[in-house]
Amino acid sequence: MLAQLGEEAKLLAGGQSLIPLMKLRFANPSHLVDLNFVPGTTYIKEENGALRFGALTRHTEIEKSAIAAGVPIIHDCAAGIADVQIRNRGTIGGSLAEADPSGDWATVLLTQKTELHCLSPRGERMIPLPEFITDAYTTALDHDELVREVVVKVPEKGSGGAYLAFKRSAPVYPTASAAVQLTMEGEVCKDAAIVLGCVGLMPVRAKEAEAALRGRSIDGKALAGAMEAAHAAADPQPDMRGSAEYKRSLVAALVKRAIEVAVQRARGQRVEVSHIYA
Amino acid sequence: MSVDGKGWVGKAVPRKEEDRLLRGRGKFADDIKLREMLYLRFVRSSYAHANIVSIDTSDAEKIPGVICTLTGSEIASQTQPFIEMAPDPGGKIQDYPLAISKVRYQGEPVAAVMAISPGIADDGAEAVQVEYAALDPVVDAEQALTDASILHEEAGTNKVWGGVFEYGDVEQAFREAASVIEIDRMHFHRFSSTPLENNVVIAQWDPKDERIYYSCNNSFPSFAIQFLAAHLNVHIDRIRVQTSDIGGSFGIKITSYPQMAVCALASKKAGGRPIKWVETRSEHMISSAHGNERTFRDTRVALDKDGVITAITSRHIDDCGAYPRYEPLGCVIWSQVFPGVYRFKNARIDFSQAVTNKCPVGPNRGYSRMQHLWFLERVVDICAHELGIPADEMRLRNYIRPEEFPYTTPNGCIYDSGNYPKMLEVAKQLIGWDAWKKKQAEARKEGRMLGIGIGTTLDSGTNNFGQAQIVNPGAPFSGNSQGANCKLDIYGEVVVAVGSCPQGQGHETTAAQVVADVLNINPDLITVRTGFDTERNVHTGFSGTYASQFAVSGLSAVHGAAQKLKAEMKRLAAFVLKSKEEDLEFGVGGQGPEVRSKSNGKSINYWGMANIVNVNSAVLPVEMHDVTLNCRYIWRAPFKVPDIKRKYGNLTMTYASQLHIAVVEIDRETFIPKILDYVAVDDCGTVINPPIVEGQVYGATAHGIGAALLENCVYDSVGNMLTSTFSDYIPITAMNMPTVKYGHIETPSPHSYSGAKGMGEGGAAPIHTISAALQDALFDKRIFIDDSFNNPDSLFRALKGEIGRADDIVKVERRA
Ligand SMILES: Cc1cc2nc3c(=O)[nH]c(=O)nc-3n(C[C@H](O)[C@H](O)[C@H](O)COP(=O)(O)OP(=O)(O)OC[C@H]3O[C@@H](n4cnc5c(N)ncnc54)[C@H](O)[C@@H]3O)c2cc1C
Repeated sequence: MLAQLGEEAKLLAGGQSLIPLMKLRFANPSHLVDLNFVPGTTYIKEENGALRFGALTRHTEIEKSAIAAGVPIIHDCAAGIADVQIRNRGTIGGSLAEADPSGDWATVLLTQKTELHCLSPRGERMIPLPEFITDAYTTALDHDELVREVVVKVPEKGSGGAYLAFKRSAPVYPTASAAVQLTMEGEVCKDAAIVLGCVGLMPVRAKEAEAALRGRSIDGKALAGAMEAAHAAADPQPDMRGSAEYKRSLVAALVKRAIEVAVQRARGQRVEVSHIYA
Repeated sequence: MSVDGKGWVGKAVPRKEEDRLLRGRGKFADDIKLREMLYLRFVRSSYAHANIVSIDTSDAEKIPGVICTLTGSEIASQTQPFIEMAPDPGGKIQDYPLAISKVRYQGEPVAAVMAISPGIADDGAEAVQVEYAALDPVVDAEQALTDASILHEEAGTNKVWGGVFEYGDVEQAFREAASVIEIDRMHFHRFSSTPLENNVVIAQWDPKDERIYYSCNNSFPSFAIQFLAAHLNVHIDRIRVQTSDIGGSFGIKITSYPQMAVCALASKKAGGRPIKWVETRSEHMISSAHGNERTFRDTRVALDKDGVITAITSRHIDDCGAYPRYEPLGCVIWSQVFPGVYRFKNARIDFSQAVTNKCPVGPNRGYSRMQHLWFLERVVDICAHELGIPADEMRLRNYIRPEEFPYTTPNGCIYDSGNYPKMLEVAKQLIGWDAWKKKQAEARKEGRMLGIGIGTTLDSGTNNFGQAQIVNPGAPFSGNSQGANCKLDIYGEVVVAVGSCPQGQGHETTAAQVVADVLNINPDLITVRTGFDTERNVHTGFSGTYASQFAVSGLSAVHGAAQKLKAEMKRLAAFVLKSKEEDLEFGVGGQGPEVRSKSNGKSINYWGMANIVNVNSAVLPVEMHDVTLNCRYIWRAPFKVPDIKRKYGNLTMTYASQLHIAVVEIDRETFIPKILDYVAVDDCGTVINPPIVEGQVYGATAHGIGAALLENCVYDSVGNMLTSTFSDYIPITAMNMPTVKYGHIETPSPHSYSGAKGMGEGGAAPIHTISAALQDALFDKRIFIDDSFNNPDSLFRALKGEIGRADDIVKVERRA
């Protein structure tokens, strides 16, 4: 259908990004192709060590899903997006396809092994998430292609993750956020993935911060190293959410707290976290 | 009669309006849809300051469904500029509802497009081409006063008004001072109220009877019609205004009369078709009204050896945005609370107001007084810190004492009643002051930044409009009044009509409580018509809902009308029952509400009385023909015209007070200020309905906390508004709110018939309180909280030494 309607046509999922843009007249599509009536696009299942989300699965459904809660960082993310109304409409597929630099899903899922199964008249292809998002608001999707399914590999045992953001109020995007997934072997961090949100044109993979933890026990020094590296990796824009300097400093603090929670969760402890609200 | 026999006033009577509003059955202006109605969309300026070179509406007019367009020059040729409140040169400003030859703020309407659907109107507005020639924008009030770039050439200056308010002997107080504290600059930020419902206007200029019909949510319609009649060159009786339920105003909807004018003129051009304009949120943010921004310069404070303030001098510059509109009333309204809650007698405030290339201001909740009260609270607070006097002690030394009421302020205002030390005591107890002081000391040792702040404030209500003469001796208003009507309808129902237009303040309920007590019946038996309607004929020139006054002006009018009705009912019943008036009693009998004679046991119910007057009137003797059972009463406040030269006189009838305490901790890593504990104590005299008062206190508290930490209208250096959506401007939500502990004391007002004081605005106590708590957390780091708005980013910058360096801003001279 998209192929028939041409470049100006757009898919409509939850409408929580597209409709506001149309209302402000920043987007003016010639046609909307509503995906909401397509059967079999909303599901959460675990198969072969991976969580599979239908593209139209709402944030709320993920928030309430016992299967998704098996990967706590995913629950942290779903439960913290905007407010109830928006979570009831917004979808995981729409969120990734929108590639909003402030969107939560991409930041979180980049700490996981995530693949997107995409469908077009030419058939289906699999795109790993790091290759899917190519720039702010830009993805590797072709015009006539859609996201069908999001597949996230379940982290191994001994791995724990956490996602924390600072938000001025629920219905706004975070000022900054930090997603951390750590694999621990006893006291030592075997592997780390750290991604910073809202501090760049795309989610920022903080490789140096990961290196500051990898192969070491998570003590004050390691934490300080990770914070410093995160501070340096962030490349935020000043806006009404804060100055660039402040956001850098904030994201470092969030990284520290997310690491602390991730460590506890890696040890198998149940830790509830929530975003920080002003 | 109420169950305990003590009457309905003072009881937690459930709100009559609740059922309708909570079930989503409120009737709001946007619910109205009329035949042949057109939708209006404004074309708005993208520039803050520019000349209009040309406007081309031809493309818009070609769009199918666009019926017509309207531009400023078309309006200018058929109207008068709006009335200006300022004397010359400010009075020379020519304000039209659409820009004519230049634009003066981003978002200013330059044209309007009328179409058969809102979407087509949007398309039409986009197709209007406007060419601008940019001018230098002025976004700072102090800079505006230099007149380097002038907004209104007719006035020749950006200074709308200036005047000095001086009382007592300032020089002597400074000569005798034990210490003098100087503060270079403080700033009260611009914020707004973001009511849930934006502005809505439906207007029809009906060619059949040459009348203009409005349904809208303006919150001071009697003010609006005075402005509109003069502007549109029509008799005021030709304008009918109706309001229904209103989803919040907070004063912001007082100044929607320019949009009301455009809608009427658009209807006229469209051949009398009704026009509907529903403001979008972004339009609301950029161009409805913001609160006044104020800068305080060169403040000097004289104190005696005990830390008692003896004199203050300062220079205040108010920023009213691009058009004065309700201003420069704000240049005097702050002086209702000239000394705040404090006893100092000597002061000189040099006050001026400037226009800038920003959204015009409107009387935002706490209007003009909160800026001044914040200033005084900052002064008291920083003096306490600098002199090492504990915050609570400093207040006790400076508060007006309970035995001094009624207290005459240096500028002649009469504070009716109050007990500030008692409020402090209640608040300290509720928050657990001593325990928090201990925790604070421990936290400090760990290097944590934890502060405890006190904010004391006033909510002055029921204005003496004569204060307008202090800013403009030619202003033809003084005093205050409100109207109400109380009647027995043809079948004997009690119906009350009021000139107010409530936005959640519960007027239906409190008016019914008052009438119920007069007639000794249950409030459920009383129908209250609220919402403004010129045709009900109960309004005076001051009718509306604004400025913390309904409990005094509104209910005094209702009470007066009910008394008048009761007197007529007595006369009538005495005649019918052949009894003396003294022998009659009011109550409810077997056939509903009635009047009965204690002497002969006979009674007549309300239906019987209404029947005789309305449809069975042959039985009525001629000498009783003046009985109508339909009683209009105009209440007038007992004010005198102030002494204009001395700027002296009583400016308000009642002074409700609030005292808040907050405990705030600033996170050392994220710099997020977190409210750990919060207490709000209020005193509004005799309470008419406790849950309604409590609700207003919570609302005002939320509003104030939002203003202190989240809500800020920001412009860049060229006048672009950076906070035009709720992604950038953050209205407070439940998730941002601490649990508020509520406390209450009652000092009945000797000035109102019931002892009640106006309340609702709340005096912005949280802004003062949070500034004080942050100050307490940061004073030992030599940071001065010099702005009313603080967020994690500004605290981060202050802690980095970039802003708020006390040593640059505050100077202390100790002489004794
Ligand atoms: C007030 C507000 C606050 C918000 N706050 C947050 C927040 O804090 N964090 C956060 O992460 N998000 C936030 N959001 C955004 C929300 O999560 C959206 O739901 C999400 O960004 C987009 O998902 P959607 O399903 O609504 O997509 P839509 O708006 O329907 O579509 C978005 C874009 O993706 C395309 N698209 C949609 N589905 C597909 C698909 N299956 N395949 C290919 N392309 C597709 C559409 O064509 C469109 O271009 C907020 C939204 C609002 C309105």
